[in-house]
Amino acid sequence: MHRIGRWVDERLNVSPLIAGFLDRKVPGNIGWFHTLGSATLFLLIVQIATGIALSMSYVPSPDHAYQSILYIDQTPFGGAVRGIHHWAAGLLVLFIGLHILRVFIWGAHRYPREITWLVGAGLFFIVLGFAFTGYLLPWDQKAYWATVVGTNIAGSAPLIGGAVMEFLRGGEQLGAVTLARFYGIHIWVLPALLLVLVGAHLFGVIRQGIAASPRRHAIVASDPDLSRREAYEREYAAEKRAGKPFWDSLLKDAVVAAILLVVVVALALTQGAPLEPRADPNATNYVPRPEWYFLDMFQMLWYFTGDLEPLLIFLVFTFGAVIFLLIPFIDRGTARHPRQRPIAMGLTAVVVVAIVGLTYLGASATPAGVVKIPPTDGMAQAELNGLATFNEQGCASCHQIRGLGGHTGPDLSRAGFRWEPAAIRDQIVTPKDTKMPSYDGLTQEQLDDLVTYLTSLK
Amino acid sequence: MDDRRPGADRLPDGAPESVDPPVDDPPATAETGPRLSRRSFVLRALTVVGGGIAAILAAPVVGFVTAPGWRSSRAVRFLSTSVAPTLRSNDWTSVGKLLDFEVGVPTYVLVDRPVVDGWAQETVPVGVQVVRQDEAEVAAFDPHCTHLGCPLAWSTGAETFVCPCHGGSFNAAGEVLSGPPPRPMVRYETRVDAGEVLIGSLPEGA
Repeated sequence: MHRIGRWVDERLNVSPLIAGFLDRKVPGNIGWFHTLGSATLFLLIVQIATGIALSMSYVPSPDHAYQSILYIDQTPFGGAVRGIHHWAAGLLVLFIGLHILRVFIWGAHRYPREITWLVGAGLFFIVLGFAFTGYLLPWDQKAYWATVVGTNIAGSAPLIGGAVMEFLRGGEQLGAVTLARFYGIHIWVLPALLLVLVGAHLFGVIRQGIAASPRRHAIVASDPDLSRREAYEREYAAEKRAGKPFWDSLLKDAVVAAILLVVVVALALTQGAPLEPRADPNATNYVPRPEWYFLDMFQMLWYFTGDLEPLLIFLVFTFGAVIFLLIPFIDRGTARHPRQRPIAMGLTAVVVVAIVGLTYLGASATPAGVVKIPPTDGMAQAELNGLATFNEQGCASCHQIRGLGGHTGPDLSRAGFRWEPAAIRDQIVTPKDTKMPSYDGLTQEQLDDLVTYLTSLK
Repeated sequence: MDDRRPGADRLPDGAPESVDPPVDDPPATAETGPRLSRRSFVLRALTVVGGGIAAILAAPVVGFVTAPGWRSSRAVRFLSTSVAPTLRSNDWTSVGKLLDFEVGVPTYVLVDRPVVDGWAQETVPVGVQVVRQDEAEVAAFDPHCTHLGCPLAWSTGAETFVCPCHGGSFNAAGEVLSGPPPRPMVRYETRVDAGEVLIGSLPEGA
């Protein structure tokens, strides 16, 4: 081994480069949170390796895509490789999110690392692009319907929306052209961009050295005569003098990578990669739900209605993306410690709570249209009949009772407490609200039982 | 910043490397005006040539890839709308006898239609919701929500089309009753020929 190394070194003289890379000093207070970036890189490598393997048995055509996935799952190690690709994809979205959070809380996006942030933000969008395009490839129900919804959301941009949507789908309809395009984007366009941007991101990190953990008070006393560049360099040099060599922190990265690998392989072997029935464009009772990492966006669409909705969706998503990109130019200043940035930390908490909350709501929301409210103990016969009518008429499509049902109409969990029986009856037969259809086709008995049931809810 | 970094000796940190060393450029004089060094000229020429090569390569590549976007015949609208994913057909296809449909109650019909799916010309089943309105009139709807294209199912109890994604609902006439859908359900062209209901194309861009 050493002889081969010497043989190569005699010709290329790379050992000073390697030694320089490993022995360079980095700030001392580098902890476990700093492994999030290398964990993201590790997951990317896992995705590239498993993705290349999958591409050798996959056919991007509606005729064969689903069958080729079944074939992969039956081939030795095929199911495991697809499982790893699936689970590592989810973890990748999670870890790139945590890495972004760590960088922002540490204030590491500040001067002079703005470019590294911009490149990293680009990488985040690329990862989401991978997730979105990768989804369609198995051509199962989830794939098809998530792409119907996703391309329509992308198409909601004002003026260019129609062109964007047809660019993504390869025309108006969703079919063979769409699948081929998504495949091309997933395995050529995005990986090419990814490699370039990962290279640029790592170049930034190595060239500038990793940002030191924020201190409340600088090591070196400030000197008003120094330029920003000089003051920064003096402080960073002091951090490095108190620091340790780079190789010393690599062990933590390796431990995290090993744990991630164990988790991903365990999930792949025990859970496999999910596969729903083959895509059926004519399904009428399929309930589209995205993967967990798009649930927050999906859930947000509940809250916009009306003609301006596409514009609102577009503005919210675009505004969010632009703010995210421009963070180093908005959140400036020199104090990097989180305690010295109460507003930034407050906003971060709001965003994190919003993302987690929307994801939770999206995950727990019962799909409209398919819900049946179960009976509870001790219900009278008339109430049971009323509940049966309630379920037959599909009232739960719009109304919730004890957490089950749609959100369009008011929650009826305490209907008997909120309204008089006569008011409930009027609302059913001749709704005052135009959103609610009139149920004037019920028999008198059905209506009586329904009102009895609703009145019993207190 | 890091002096031990390889190559750091050649490039002092913080000092931007000058692309054009001024020593190479002869000083501008009042008589000759600013003069280009050979180095600057070559670099500029390379930029022009390189840019030209990139543009010539990019034109067909980008043009081909984005063609579905700009070749589209649909009108540019300020507020874009969702588009049904349904495979399109321009044929007139029978969906059944008019009198077999109950008035005011949608019937889900799967009909085989010749479609063009990219390079493939094939006949595939296409789902249609057919609603007879009276003795002579009939409407046929594409069963996708106009919000984001999720599959609509007719709920017999509520007598509405219900969208499972964000709770949009439509009545039997395809009008929006509730939820986020911005416009009525998409209607096929229809005609009645000798008692047979025929469906034609979907509206452009719907």
